[in-house]
Amino acid sequence: MKQTEGKIGIREYTAIIMLSVGTKLTDDTPTVLFNSAKNSAWISLILIALLSIVPIWFLVKVFSVHQDKNLHDLNVYLFGKVLGHIISVGMLAFGFSALVLDSAIYVDIISSMYFTKTPSIAIYVVLVIVCGYGAKRGLQHIGSTAWLTLFYLKITLLFALAFAFYKGNTKLIFPLWGPGYWEIVKTAGSKMSIFADFYYLGIIAPMIDSFKSFKKGAFVAFAVVVPEILLALMIYVMLFDFTSIEVISYPFHEMILYISIGFLTNVETFFLPFWLVAAFVRFAFYFYLVLILFGAIFKIKEYEYLVPVISILVIFLGVFPKSAAFTIPGLREWMLTILSPMFFLLPCFMWLIAKVRGDFKNETSAQKN
Amino acid sequence: MFKLLKKISGRKKKGKSIQSNNTLDEQKNKRDQSISQNIDDNIDFIKSIYQFPDNRDVKFREFKVGGSNKRVAIIFISSITDVRTIEDSSIRPLLENKEPNLDIKGIISTQNVTIFPNMKDVVSNINTGNAVIFLEDDSNAYVFECANFQGRAVEKAENEVIIKGSKEALTEKVVVNLSLIRKRIKNEALMAESVTISERSQNEIYILYVRNLADDQLVDNIKNRLKNLDVDSIQNLALLEQYIEERRMSLFPSLLYSERPDRAAAFLEDGHVVLLMDNSPDALILPATFWSFFHTPEDHYLRFVFGNFARIIRIVAMFITIFISAIYVAVTSFHSEMIPADLLLAIAGSREKVPFPVFFEIILMEAAFELIREAGLRVPNPMGPTIGIVGALVLGQAAVEANIISPIVIIVVALSGLTSFTISDISLQFALRIIRFLFIAAAGIFGIFGMTALFVMGIFYLVSLKSFGVPFLAPMSPHYVSSGDTIFRRVITNENFRPGYLKPDDLKKKGDGATK
Repeated sequence: MKQTEGKIGIREYTAIIMLSVGTKLTDDTPTVLFNSAKNSAWISLILIALLSIVPIWFLVKVFSVHQDKNLHDLNVYLFGKVLGHIISVGMLAFGFSALVLDSAIYVDIISSMYFTKTPSIAIYVVLVIVCGYGAKRGLQHIGSTAWLTLFYLKITLLFALAFAFYKGNTKLIFPLWGPGYWEIVKTAGSKMSIFADFYYLGIIAPMIDSFKSFKKGAFVAFAVVVPEILLALMIYVMLFDFTSIEVISYPFHEMILYISIGFLTNVETFFLPFWLVAAFVRFAFYFYLVLILFGAIFKIKEYEYLVPVISILVIFLGVFPKSAAFTIPGLREWMLTILSPMFFLLPCFMWLIAKVRGDFKNETSAQKN
Repeated sequence: MFKLLKKISGRKKKGKSIQSNNTLDEQKNKRDQSISQNIDDNIDFIKSIYQFPDNRDVKFREFKVGGSNKRVAIIFISSITDVRTIEDSSIRPLLENKEPNLDIKGIISTQNVTIFPNMKDVVSNINTGNAVIFLEDDSNAYVFECANFQGRAVEKAENEVIIKGSKEALTEKVVVNLSLIRKRIKNEALMAESVTISERSQNEIYILYVRNLADDQLVDNIKNRLKNLDVDSIQNLALLEQYIEERRMSLFPSLLYSERPDRAAAFLEDGHVVLLMDNSPDALILPATFWSFFHTPEDHYLRFVFGNFARIIRIVAMFITIFISAIYVAVTSFHSEMIPADLLLAIAGSREKVPFPVFFEIILMEAAFELIREAGLRVPNPMGPTIGIVGALVLGQAAVEANIISPIVIIVVALSGLTSFTISDISLQFALRIIRFLFIAAAGIFGIFGMTALFVMGIFYLVSLKSFGVPFLAPMSPHYVSSGDTIFRRVITNENFRPGYLKPDDLKKKGDGATK
């Protein structure tokens, strides 16, 4: 009933976040955590989640008084024209690299785990065509697709995790503190940008039907995604133990290779389509974010026409590294490490400047509207 | 660069303009005049318009009225009028009249007599089966209704068969259809407005809606669309559908076509708009969502559990019909590790002597099935059973024995063909049949990955479709207040909202049961 043209409801919005952040447990993100925090990766995830609440909370706070602005407008408004643009361009650069690196990893997963004979550029082209098509269709349609498929994707994920849990050995979680407190904290501090997606949500903030949905959706999705990844991290350790988990690049896919359901001994292909749907939605959303941010910074109204250009860029940059399986995870880890302090500090600065400027004085009246 | 391309392509299109006479305007101008005082002029004019002696079923009856001794002429087309009515309620009373002052309206005993001062209306009335009376020294024409177009009687629904519930189907006569719908909604708020949509054939269309339920904007939008039509002739609703839909190239239909009056009535009560037309044994219901194509009225006539069981069967059938052939192709050629070893050996054994790749085998058999289907549809009735036998035996059994097709492929294709019949809507059925081939192609090239890519693209496309402003997958996404009748239905007493995407004037639907 309240549906207005071009805006998405809380369902679609939450579904998008759940899929785009939730799929991280299926790529090499767990490996990044396991590398330094070993079998206590899940503890560092708890730390990350606790730390991440701070910037998310500040971000939501800032948006509560600027409900009609998107993140770029807000950057320009708060940091001034020059610095604001620099920050936005930096965000665009990181967003675009995330799109390229993450999609390269997904292509690597598909081509190394499932389609070993298919050339990876062909897989990449199909992936980018689908995501580009989704991005061109717009946020509403990405959201609807996410919401329509969300239930089935989460159910199958739950199934996979449940079967893996029965195969695993609970004792392998111990020693609880793994490599020691300091290592865990260090991992948490340097890798907290795995939730940086929440910062990028600011770009679509004015496209959500109300501020209340924006706030509630972000927190609901956060509350679902964190336990999900936590559970996955624990189950990986229980299944593989910490010595082998460091060598495994994509634990989720190794995990579904391990499990069998009744008379079906190899079920990984059964889970593949569901995981792929989530991946397509995720990259369609990333693609859309890059598009809209690009459009906002360079004042391009009809940003749909950028789709072919960006598609080709993504494919070439993604295929460029010679051995994706070795170079890209390194690059990705490096990016996560740089992004972490930015993700933590930027919203705090935004809030601070807004506070100094006195934007929050009108808060009560703004929230009533 | 694009402008240049456009220019080049635009230039090519400019060819010679087609020479044509606008005979329609000629015809219009000819009949656009007022009625003369002289009755002979009028009669001659009508005779010239209808080319009287050549046009055999146009009838003229001239005589003098008994009392006043004035000349009278009655004109009608005998093939589309009820001649009995004309004789009983106009010719006889006029002949037997003894009054010196002639008052036509007092003599003609039909339900209404209308007066028209110009020829345009007179002609159009004659064309629609009414009779016209010209009077000596009178510049008005008197028209009374006596239309009687031939058509079949109300029969059983043949395409949307159900076991429980009414069996009536709409017919080619719009009056009968209206009566069937009014029989179900006895309310003065049920409107039946009519619009003439074509110029030459003067096809008339009825717009039905419930005044205090349907959204005014929606009704206006539909009326405008119908008024904007500029066509010579639209014979029936199946053609009209293609004139008023938004995406003419789309795979998915955006208007629901139903032959059941109970279905039309149910949609009217939810705030939809229904179009009826002469010569169409069906109703066009709009806006339509994906779910309305997927549902049948029986889902609601059956009790909650049974109705939902039918829905489960149907959604499973829909998935089987789209995916099973594609999955067979994908699994056997890309993911053979997925199949349990025994089954894999069975498949390999059955394929041992088959010389073709799986993809080709499936395409061959699917094409054969489509052929049998199309042939079976067009074959004259007495030969019908032959086609079944020839199709099943020659293409199935013999193909296997000749080692062209493996038996498992026969099972797969038969299953996918059979399940496609569970969808009763012909448009959706066609869409699914075509999509099936796309999926087979995707599976042949990229296995499960290609299928999933196509599936996600399909969903992106599906959610972007709209029918008269209503998203195709509403109310599931985007979400609207509704009675939640999508894949499954609710208990009938809980279905107490009209669909919110129609913005109905009255959202709440009363539906409390007798027991709490």
